[in-house]
Amino acid sequence: MSAALTLSEHGRSALVLDRGVAPGGQIFRSVSTSPLPDRTALGPDYAAGAELVSAYTNSRAKHVAGADVWHIGEDGRILYSHEGTTKQVEAREILICPGAIERPMPIRGWTLPGVMTAGAAQVMLKSDAMVAENAVFAGSGPLLYLIVAQYLRLGVKVAGLVDTTPAENYLKAAPLLPAALGGFGLLRKGLALLSEIRRAGVPVYRNATDLAILGDQRAEGLVFTSDGRQEIKADTVFLHHGVLPNPNMTRALGLAHHWNEDQLAWHVTKDAFGQSSLPHVSVAGDGGGIVGADGARHEGTLAAMNVLTRLGHFASDQRDRLAKPRLAQLRRLARFRRFIDRLYQPRPALRLPQDSETVVCRCEEQRLSDLRQGFEEGARDPNALKSRTRCGMGPCQGRQCGPIVSGLLAKWQDLPVQDVGYYRLRSPQKLLSLEEFSQFQTVVPDEGGTK
Amino acid sequence: MFRSLRTDNPELVRVSVNGHAVEIASGQSVWSALALSGQTTTRKAALSGEDRSAYCAMGVCFECMVEIDGIPNQQACLRRVADGMTIATQTITETSVAK
Ligand SMILES: Cc1cc2nc3c(=O)[nH]c(=O)nc-3n(C[C@H](O)[C@H](O)[C@H](O)COP(=O)(O)OP(=O)(O)OC[C@H]3O[C@@H](n4cnc5c(N)ncnc54)[C@H](O)[C@@H]3O)c2cc1C
Ligand code: FES
Repeated sequence: MSAALTLSEHGRSALVLDRGVAPGGQIFRSVSTSPLPDRTALGPDYAAGAELVSAYTNSRAKHVAGADVWHIGEDGRILYSHEGTTKQVEAREILICPGAIERPMPIRGWTLPGVMTAGAAQVMLKSDAMVAENAVFAGSGPLLYLIVAQYLRLGVKVAGLVDTTPAENYLKAAPLLPAALGGFGLLRKGLALLSEIRRAGVPVYRNATDLAILGDQRAEGLVFTSDGRQEIKADTVFLHHGVLPNPNMTRALGLAHHWNEDQLAWHVTKDAFGQSSLPHVSVAGDGGGIVGADGARHEGTLAAMNVLTRLGHFASDQRDRLAKPRLAQLRRLARFRRFIDRLYQPRPALRLPQDSETVVCRCEEQRLSDLRQGFEEGARDPNALKSRTRCGMGPCQGRQCGPIVSGLLAKWQDLPVQDVGYYRLRSPQKLLSLEEFSQFQTVVPDEGGTK
Repeated sequence: MFRSLRTDNPELVRVSVNGHAVEIASGQSVWSALALSGQTTTRKAALSGEDRSAYCAMGVCFECMVEIDGIPNQQACLRRVADGMTIATQTITETSVAK
């Protein structure tokens, strides 16, 4: 939205393809159409999004809601599904902003019905005003505390908050605190959320380890260790321990990526303006590396400035002058982000499965033991393991198992994750039906096709 | 248990979920029609045939694939309800579709 606004301010239009129902992305999801009786319960940040969305809606940008992009070619060809048909558009400049996905937490029973992510809880709340009564929330990080607080403000009962943040993380993060003071406001927000949760009388368990979902056919609760073995009965368990860049579009396009050890995540390799290893393709926001909602807005604006320069609107020194304050803001946010990343760095035992029977690939039902066997039979990298075990071959195309598989192979060979690599991905990035594919349309965007 | 917090009087549409008639606010996700009517199984797992249900609610995991108006592999969390829509738990697994 910020990129499209910047382009619009300089007289360029942009075609924005968004799978979402309404503009807003993850954070401002449904802000203009929220079915909630009182959206102030979601916090002031959410309501503030309405302003951005309305500026964007009034701009020259053409927003296509419900457009699911499943192919971007090096040649600028974009294919997407929209209203049951496949559409094609050609772009000279492409900006990819696929946002974040939640980091998988492969614990025993995480495939049972009733286990969802905390992000799912928030999406259901924002777009459908739907909540799960008496659920357990488990994991770590600001988004987890935020959704619990939002539930409580709306009068929804919460069975417990099981916080897996390792006690030693507080010590590890402490040295980064002074540098993060620029973002102190954000930190205070996080602390306020936790005390709000405690005051509401929700049982909070800290430093929790050894999590497993109870139940055979469906989730019946959560067991874990925190001051001894504990058990909470619940028919819904929401898990969350951070977010990762949504990798599939940037990977399928073959952009260069690298492993970021602070965030324990693959990042897209790009310059300060988001330009990737393909000059006409830029990446902004969480999809390139987690920068948060404010960071994503700055990155979007910067990427648009660069596109305007490439299209001949600005000289590059003009771009650099305009960019300066934003780059400074981004650096300030990055210092705070490093503190948060360290503080909420997930427990290794929750990032990688421990129990040989735990499912790693949800689609193809490959367990840790199956992957270990594939490794012992000679598979040394994610692609070899995929062809040997089918892990990563299902409809989600490795979005869940990908980060786990890279991590496991690195651990087993005592190698850096960077050397182990990630799945090689190809389009289409979703399951297509012949019905859909048979109806094909070419879309001609206004004004030179700037997406 | 899932419930709706809506207090407005939304326009309702009628859909069928596994043969049961369900009234649901227009514009809501297909997943919410399943969840609010207590029929949370979306599909069967590829090999074991175990029940699966929506997991991410944002289009990432493909656990919520259901049959909509007879067409399989539709992500219930991304699709919106429409009057007269037929929604069914997907019993064919994605491996059998591929064959
Ligand atoms: C579940 C979740 C909850 C969050 N909650 C909060 C919160 O409460 N407060 C907070 O400060 N931060 C929150 N964050 C972080 C915050 O949302 C992000 O930092 C911010 O939204 C990043 O903006 P973005 O533009 O990079 O990505 P997003 O806002 O995620 O936007 C990405 C967009 O890309 C679209 N998209 C993805 N793939 C495709 C495709 N193939 N075709 C078409 N469109 C596609 C999506 O529909 C989405 O609209 C949350 C993140 C997640 C994952
Ligand atoms: S619930 Fe994950 S894709 Fe729909």
